[in-house]
Amino acid sequence: MSAFLEIRKVSRAFNSTMAVKDVSFVVEKGELLGLMGPNGAGKSTLFNLIAGVLPPTSGEIIFEGKPITGCKSYDVARIGIARTFQIPKPYRQLSVVENVMLSAFLREKSVAGARSLAEATLADVGLADYFGTPVSSLTVGLLKRLEVARALAMRPKLVLFDEIMAGLTPTEVGTMTKFVASLPARGITVVWVEHVLYAIMKTATRMVVINRGEVIAGGAPAAIARDPAVVKAYLGEEMNLA
Amino acid sequence: MVVTDAYSPGEPTRFPILPERGRLSWFELVLLLICIGLAVANIPSSLRDVILLSFLFGGLALAWNIAGGYAGLISFGHAAFFGVGSYTSTILLVHYGITPWIGIWIGGAIAGLFGAVLALICARLRGPFFILSTLAFAEVVRIGALNWSSLTGGPEGLSIMPMPDPGSMVFASKATYAWLMLGYLVAVYAITKALESSRFGYYLFAIRDNEDAASAAGVNPLLGRTLAMALSAALTGVGGSLFAQYFLYLDPTYVISPELSFQFALLPAVGGLGTAIGPVLGSFLITPLSELLRSYFGNSAAGLHLVIYSLALVVVMLYFPSGLSGALSKLARWRPFS
Repeated sequence: MSAFLEIRKVSRAFNSTMAVKDVSFVVEKGELLGLMGPNGAGKSTLFNLIAGVLPPTSGEIIFEGKPITGCKSYDVARIGIARTFQIPKPYRQLSVVENVMLSAFLREKSVAGARSLAEATLADVGLADYFGTPVSSLTVGLLKRLEVARALAMRPKLVLFDEIMAGLTPTEVGTMTKFVASLPARGITVVWVEHVLYAIMKTATRMVVINRGEVIAGGAPAAIARDPAVVKAYLGEEMNLA
Repeated sequence: MVVTDAYSPGEPTRFPILPERGRLSWFELVLLLICIGLAVANIPSSLRDVILLSFLFGGLALAWNIAGGYAGLISFGHAAFFGVGSYTSTILLVHYGITPWIGIWIGGAIAGLFGAVLALICARLRGPFFILSTLAFAEVVRIGALNWSSLTGGPEGLSIMPMPDPGSMVFASKATYAWLMLGYLVAVYAITKALESSRFGYYLFAIRDNEDAASAAGVNPLLGRTLAMALSAALTGVGGSLFAQYFLYLDPTYVISPELSFQFALLPAVGGLGTAIGPVLGSFLITPLSELLRSYFGNSAAGLHLVIYSLALVVVMLYFPSGLSGALSKLARWRPFS
């Protein structure tokens, strides 16, 4: 029985820099996997490798038993993997609902069908009051929610969230955390990169920690928090003041 | 078909006064009636020329706008497609006796093929690099047409017999040409309106606004760009054939000139990029302006018409950066008594 998503010894070099080095881990169906690591650890590069934005230098990525290594990002999207962008990338000249309709077209070919799927998805993430708003007038928090809506309107099997909490107020973080936690029950597997650690630690079923492009730890959130390698990656060597 | 505006629940379904994306308005209907009136009215022949050229260039500006305005593919090479269309139908008529009623479709198809080839060649180029390569592409086509004399007549050009014959699309009356050009304008306008409310139209907006996001949503950007360029080029080619049937003479230095390419890009820019009404308004303002200025000052003060023309362009660009259609939608939001 193969895993839902398997990352097998994946590496990616930019010139002589190894951004991702021999990374292997699996994601099981229905999981909410947290992916953490300090700035520059290679999390976003790893997302880009899975989503088909970049081909890996070596290694294999297998989704539902089929290799997707080197697939184009629109092919990856069509087989059911959605992603958000760390820096939101909205369609500037379109309204909020039209931004989401473009994702909805993947499953609903008619304009009317895509519109109603987009509206339902927007209502889900709490953007029901913004359907006709031009995206240029949205705050960062609303743009992040728009990113989430765009990913979910594709009706994905797997969604990759890249720092959807950055720039949100504490109340918004609370609402969003609850929302993300509800996704596995709806049949959507989640891989989640987040710097707002209390949100992800509370929600994730399992964590993978990477640093300098390599996996340094994996396991339950509570165990990860005490792992010496993780503490070292985030805080440096333990100081001996004696 | 009833189009409902879902986001103004208090307001009943209405037929808008000013143009909106994907639906017809009173403004467009009134403009169409005025155009029909101009085609029917008994006006002097020189003015008739101005009117039918405004119709033709309105259609050509709309065709350019499908690539430049909707898909973000700013092209300074559309004269190549205009030339391919006009030469194809004319060669078929002059060399092979095939009626332009069939030839314009073949010309459009071949121009569309050229458009697809251009989009594929320039697949990796963006911004100024893309623009420059479209310009170079048109120059290659122009030089090709100049040198392939056996087919195109080379620098001497090709003439169509000026014998009125509806079968070879040559008419005695300019009024008939005015109808032909108006038909072209209305057809390209209808295609544009259908495009902007279709799934494919949305794909083009997405590719234009953010290619990475479009790709992540399952849209193939290269395919979208290629189809948009092919459609735009095909419609431009049809316009080229109609021009040939009206002018009855073709030579590469005019029909494939950079000046003509700039004209195709300028009209939508003045009127409003990425809107359906914009290129039409652009043509209705700029085409008569340039033609009338040329006939008034062309002899008495050579060059003065270009100065006035350029000044008018500067004023429009300065005060209406989103074009005439942008000014219109500003007017729509203007509430002087509240």
